[in-house]
Amino acid sequence: MTAIQIESLTKVYGTVRALDGLDLTVEPGVVFGFLGPNGAGKTTAIRILTGLARPTAGRARVAGIDLAADGRALSRTIGHLPEEPAFYPWMTPLEFLDYLGRLYGIATTERKAHIRELLEQVGLYETRKRRIGGFSRGMRQRLGLGAALIHRPSVLFLDEPVSALDPAGRKDVLELIDSLRGRCTVFMSTHILADVGRICDVVGIINHGKLVVQSPREALLAQYAVPVFELEAIESESLRRWADSLRQADWVTAVSLEGETARVTVKDVAFARRELLASAVQAKLELTRYAEVKPALEDVFLQLVKEGVS
Amino acid sequence: MNFVIVLRKELLEQWRTFRFLIVAAVLVAFGLSSPLLAKFTPEILKTIPNMPPELASIIPAPTLADAVTQYVKNMSQFGILLALLMTMGMVAQEKERGTAALILTRPVSRGTFLLAKFTAQALTFAASLILAALGCWYYTLLLFEALPWGTFLALNGLMLLVFLVYIAVTLLCSTLARTQAATAGLSFAALILIGGIGSLPRISDYSPGRLFGWGAAMTLGSGEAAWPALWVSVGLIFAALLAAGLVFRKQEM
Amino acid sequence: MENIREYIPLLVPVIIIQLALMIAALADLIRRPRTKSAKWLWAVVIVLVNFIGPIVYFVAGREEEIEE
Repeated sequence: MTAIQIESLTKVYGTVRALDGLDLTVEPGVVFGFLGPNGAGKTTAIRILTGLARPTAGRARVAGIDLAADGRALSRTIGHLPEEPAFYPWMTPLEFLDYLGRLYGIATTERKAHIRELLEQVGLYETRKRRIGGFSRGMRQRLGLGAALIHRPSVLFLDEPVSALDPAGRKDVLELIDSLRGRCTVFMSTHILADVGRICDVVGIINHGKLVVQSPREALLAQYAVPVFELEAIESESLRRWADSLRQADWVTAVSLEGETARVTVKDVAFARRELLASAVQAKLELTRYAEVKPALEDVFLQLVKEGVS
Repeated sequence: MNFVIVLRKELLEQWRTFRFLIVAAVLVAFGLSSPLLAKFTPEILKTIPNMPPELASIIPAPTLADAVTQYVKNMSQFGILLALLMTMGMVAQEKERGTAALILTRPVSRGTFLLAKFTAQALTFAASLILAALGCWYYTLLLFEALPWGTFLALNGLMLLVFLVYIAVTLLCSTLARTQAATAGLSFAALILIGGIGSLPRISDYSPGRLFGWGAAMTLGSGEAAWPALWVSVGLIFAALLAAGLVFRKQEM
Repeated sequence: MENIREYIPLLVPVIIIQLALMIAALADLIRRPRTKSAKWLWAVVIVLVNFIGPIVYFVAGREEEIEE
């Protein structure tokens, strides 16, 4: 049985097609990274898969349950962490998790033990009796994760779980998600590629409400393993001008600039090996480094999303 | 059924966010001050300087009826206002804040969610009204004479029923609207609409507001029953809750 | 007149309730870092509008705090 199966899912808000015939299959037990630029339809897809919104057209099954058929069964099978999880400010983490545990009908002794375990896992045991009202974003995110796991769901939906966090908080939450591998299927949306690169087994890229590509992360990197050329120059202004002119060239896919480093992806690697350095020399760049490197997920993503547009 | 668990949370919320205390405090304050006001008003009038003695002599002495009338008047105004103010946010705030989405992806049906809120609010107002009635009864005893407790209880029961009508209607508005501000607008429009329709000559016998007059008259041992108004009130409560449930079921969080 | 004086103590609970509501609302207003619309405006409403002022503040004036 597949964990998630989506068939030509469509959602229309007024004149906007948030989802435009999305097809997607996720195997059980994997950490699935759902990638896409802002506004690609990631949140809409998650809202439909968690039963918060209804699709305009198309079908979806989560853990074998048809979304259109059985909302009650769905709520017991899935866990959901919204992008900005909301709580009752007058409750404490302990009370909140206890409330949810009761709703799932978990027996008292088991509930208490499980809640303690969860609170320790998300690092909120010390603050379990403080009002949630004064909690920071990071604490809210971690409590949200605890809340999503209270009933040991078999499929966990995480909507941008680390976007609102600082680097330290981001690392903590990612490690937590990583530790869930094997226990449940994780469906995680994000626009931060570095995070996906670290923990996701399978990556699906969505753009304009459609799936662009879906593949195991390593296979994706291998398949789109077009090398990337990195150039570093002393003066960034001339580098910028050179990058601008390079973008016009038909053998170049993309040029990204970051300070004094330019990353160039190309269509024809052999051609680039001959011409790229020559072009840089011609532009009289004061080069300090020239290298051909393996692509990061970010390069693949940019390449695919760009293809999707054209 | 998870109703009891959700209701328990709602009641805890009423307590922790001081909603119960606010409702009880205001209703009790008016329960106490109504007989006081009935007693003092003529006395205060008499202290107006340079009042001609003829005029002073026709100011009637306060009676038990004045106390009851004052009580019903205050409760009808502030009780209904409280019902609106305290209920307005109940659903809209949870939608705005996102807690509705969080809870409704759990094994909680939308009907349970709404019904628990209505029940909690009904209990809060019932408990507060009991305290207010006790206060009013005691002060009336001190200032005037003992009120007949049986009919006085019936009066409070009828008043609670009217409050429940406004709680149910406001809950419906809170469900219809996306934000608390929109709920406020809708509920006050509903208040004016219900009041306006109720004051039309032929319809007033069916208006929930008629129950105040019935209760007051009953306490003082006169007046005729207004059963149609009672059935309309019960009907309105059911209709508002049912409509809220149907609307909520279709809504996307 | 004597009549009134005799009953003045009965007014005490009512005044206490009214003051308690007002003080609770003002205390919350002072403690809270931010409110919806200006703080001084709420202070005026709470002090000047008997009963209803503090209630409206509790219902509509408060904004939830999130630590950054």
